[in-house]
Amino acid sequence: MNLIELKGIKKQYHAKTALDGIDMIIREGDLITIFGPNGAGKTTLLKTISGIMSPTEGEIFYNNKVYSKSDIKKETFYLGHKTSLYNALTVLENIDFICRLFSLNHRGEAVENILREHGLWERRKDPVNELSQGTKKRLALAKGFFINPKVFILDEPFTGLDLRWRTSILSKIKGLKGQRKSLILSTHLVEEGYELADYVAFLHKGRFLFIKKKEEVAIDEIYGLFHSLGEILK
Amino acid sequence: MKFMRNAIAILRKDVLLEIRGKESLSLMLFLSLLFLVIFNFALDIDKDNISSLAPGILWVIFTFSGILGMGRTSMAERDEEAYLSVIFSPASAESFYIGKVLSNFLFLILMEGFTLLLFAILFDFEKIIGLLPKLAPSLFLGTLGFSLVGTLFSFLATASRHGEVLMPFLYLPIVIPIILGGVSSMSIILNENLVEGTGKWLQILVIFDILYLSLSLLLFRYLIEE
Repeated sequence: MNLIELKGIKKQYHAKTALDGIDMIIREGDLITIFGPNGAGKTTLLKTISGIMSPTEGEIFYNNKVYSKSDIKKETFYLGHKTSLYNALTVLENIDFICRLFSLNHRGEAVENILREHGLWERRKDPVNELSQGTKKRLALAKGFFINPKVFILDEPFTGLDLRWRTSILSKIKGLKGQRKSLILSTHLVEEGYELADYVAFLHKGRFLFIKKKEEVAIDEIYGLFHSLGEILK
Repeated sequence: MKFMRNAIAILRKDVLLEIRGKESLSLMLFLSLLFLVIFNFALDIDKDNISSLAPGILWVIFTFSGILGMGRTSMAERDEEAYLSVIFSPASAESFYIGKVLSNFLFLILMEGFTLLLFAILFDFEKIIGLLPKLAPSLFLGTLGFSLVGTLFSFLATASRHGEVLMPFLYLPIVIPIILGGVSSMSIILNENLVEGTGKWLQILVIFDILYLSLSLLLFRYLIEE
């Protein structure tokens, strides 16, 4: 079943075209990795899908109905370049606030478990502005796994994470597949992104060079594209 | 019920942010203290003219300290795009707005109480404390109107790079009815010791509060979604 469908999406920033006719279908349980060099339009695309930005042209459908921004936001966890955390609050207070908004038990074991799983329990009383960027990212991701929405939209989720936590987050994202969650992520890390994906897409200058099933694209093809565009990150 | 629970959660979060970060209320209190000290030195205030000068002085302080404080509560949402954690939650845009109005209202009322108390001490004008029950309705309605528009505009202002500079220019013309209502009601009470004469101004404040609430509720959703 199509969960989200984009038809002819264009996004213009004054004279610059960030997205130029994007067509895309995201089904329930799909995990789509979007690759692309800097400035390709990945963040704009993810912000448009999540309803943070409006397209200049084109249509978006959610559950086969004309898309309502508030509907999709209620079912989505979005993690952008910024962590969406309140810097002056402690780790626990940030989680507590989310629990209240989502009517979840903020004193339950689940909070402790999720913080322990992400190595944050010992730092639960520390204000977020005292955490490193990587730890903040882990907390932001922990929030997403805790609220467990239908759709995850993650923009460069591995940035700032060391190998240990990158592996841990990778296995958690894999776990989402079994729960029929839909996930769209953008990354520069070809191996991680490729390993997770059901579908891989490559965005360049606001257009998809391809969007295919993983089996139809060899990882070398993606490396090759990055090389030919003069950008490679391993 | 859920609407108010979400609004209260946002209020609670803002109070915690203030306790931890001391960025909004503390700044307002400091600014109002500074204003009072400046007015104390700059103006020749005595027992004969204090009743006629007090409403103007106090509302100037409420206005400018308030603008600064409300700007800070909105900045806390913009830092790290923290407001997205509310947007991507079951809380409606309207409950988010009401939560922010409640926290701004609470901080403004605390700042006003502090300012009135300090004013009474600095200018030897205890009468104003005794008249607080009579001043309360216009202060309540004025502060409410102030926070209803201020919440919307401070959010709008923080969305752009030069927003904080533009905020007073955009905001002050809109809240003139509130400032007029507040100053006039206070003036009638302090000078004539009559509550009856404030009726017309209280009605104006109620009408503008309703107008501001309705328009802001409509615009806030658009503002945060776009």
